[in-house]
Amino acid sequence: MPPSPIARARAAVPPLPRIVFAVLALATLAIAARPAHADGDIVATVTDDHGAPVADAVVVAVPVDGVMKVVPHRDAVVDQVDREFTPKVIAVAVGTPIVFPNHDNVRHQVYSFSRAKRFELPLYAGVPAQPIVFDKPGVVVLGCNIHDWMIGYIYVSESPYFAKTGADGKATIAGLAPRDYVVRVWHLQQDGLEDATKKTVDLAKAKTVSVAWSLTLRPETRVRRSPVGESAGHY
Amino acid sequence: MLVAPVARADTFAGASGGFVYDDNLTRAQRDADIRADTAATVAASGGWFFVPTGQDGVSLSLHAEGQAYARFHGLDTIAAGAGARWRHKFGVGRDVPWIALALDVSHGAWRDDIRDGNRLDAKLEMGKRFGPTFDASLGVTLDRRTADHDRPVVPGISGKVFDLAGHSAFARAAWDVTPDLQVAARADVRRGDVVSTTRINLEIFEASDAIAADPAFGPDFFAYRLRGTTKTATLNLSYALGERASLNLTYADARTSAYDGLDYRNRATTLALAWSF
Repeated sequence: MPPSPIARARAAVPPLPRIVFAVLALATLAIAARPAHADGDIVATVTDDHGAPVADAVVVAVPVDGVMKVVPHRDAVVDQVDREFTPKVIAVAVGTPIVFPNHDNVRHQVYSFSRAKRFELPLYAGVPAQPIVFDKPGVVVLGCNIHDWMIGYIYVSESPYFAKTGADGKATIAGLAPRDYVVRVWHLQQDGLEDATKKTVDLAKAKTVSVAWSLTLRPETRVRRSPVGESAGHY
Repeated sequence: MLVAPVARADTFAGASGGFVYDDNLTRAQRDADIRADTAATVAASGGWFFVPTGQDGVSLSLHAEGQAYARFHGLDTIAAGAGARWRHKFGVGRDVPWIALALDVSHGAWRDDIRDGNRLDAKLEMGKRFGPTFDASLGVTLDRRTADHDRPVVPGISGKVFDLAGHSAFARAAWDVTPDLQVAARADVRRGDVVSTTRINLEIFEASDAIAADPAFGPDFFAYRLRGTTKTATLNLSYALGERASLNLTYADARTSAYDGLDYRNRATTLALAWSF
């Protein structure tokens, strides 16, 4: 087999310049491999009026320049366990397919009349064969036609950069390119508009930016599940 | 297209326990005949819930109840029965109207057995939810009770005082004032047989079509069966203790007109804890 062109070029270079050549090549490779920008994080904290942490709040970051990477969508899952949606709140990027498995002994009929997605899964048990694709941003409220108290929320984000707060009221949106972002928060009990929570943060100046919101929460409005005692009289 | 394994029935169970105070257990008009008492109450039920279609739910249940009175032990009761309920929603959604048909049969046994017997209740109800925190319904009921024992005290007049039949109409509404507190109100109008227990009373005697001794209240008390109309207003406060329990306070004010001249009023206050499992 004849030597390759690279092998022939390498053989043509004398030993000392060959070392210089190698160092230069490595340096070039190192420069090329270095990320164009260091990734940054937005660390969000959401509390209520009393300073208590707020769980299940969705924090969304939208680049001011509108440039957002395309993230491949993986199926998300909203389960039904003990006649409740689990998780009660899920955040997904627009275009995400969601599967609605039913792990209860009783069949469910899941529906939504929300503008962001109207759909109905006719009465079923087990796992629907096809997921539902959530193709418009917004909040989708889920219900079950059999169990009126069941309620779930799907936050469909137009941005791939979002996170949901945990029990400690904290959420981190990691791996963001260093630029300006408009961040906002949504919660199912939020009193006021989501847009009113908008803040601008600059990840070009700091690798980690903390942002905090104090939300006024309304009582949750859902159909009551607790038993109601009824007493029978006699005549 | 769905992967749909064989749907099984869901099971449910519940229990409650508490106290009820009734200020006119005898359903008497005259103060001298009125007897009030407090009872401890327990109840348990369980059953199966089926979902034949996306708009229909069917429940089959078994239930048992008991009451133990502080003074009038003759009224101590145990009862058991079975019920079935079908509900149909006219469409999909939380707020669509619905209709429900319920049937319940039970047998009750009292310490003083003049009240022993079977009971049949049928209810047709239509309702609608107006948002997540308010719902209302209207309905009609039929009730039928058969007495096990016939112990006439007057020749020619039946002793089956507790053979009763009636029908009623009702309206109810419930509002979740907060996520924990529900206020419910209900109004019933019932036409049918009622039983008033008094000492010997000529007026009532002439109007009644069945008479029996009612030793639960004393040796000189007699139970009279009459036709009457009862209007009942009920207020219920239910405080949720999580999603599986609640504390319930119920006040019911019933006014009965049995015939021209015989009116009586009874008020019952119930405090009970309810659980669902």
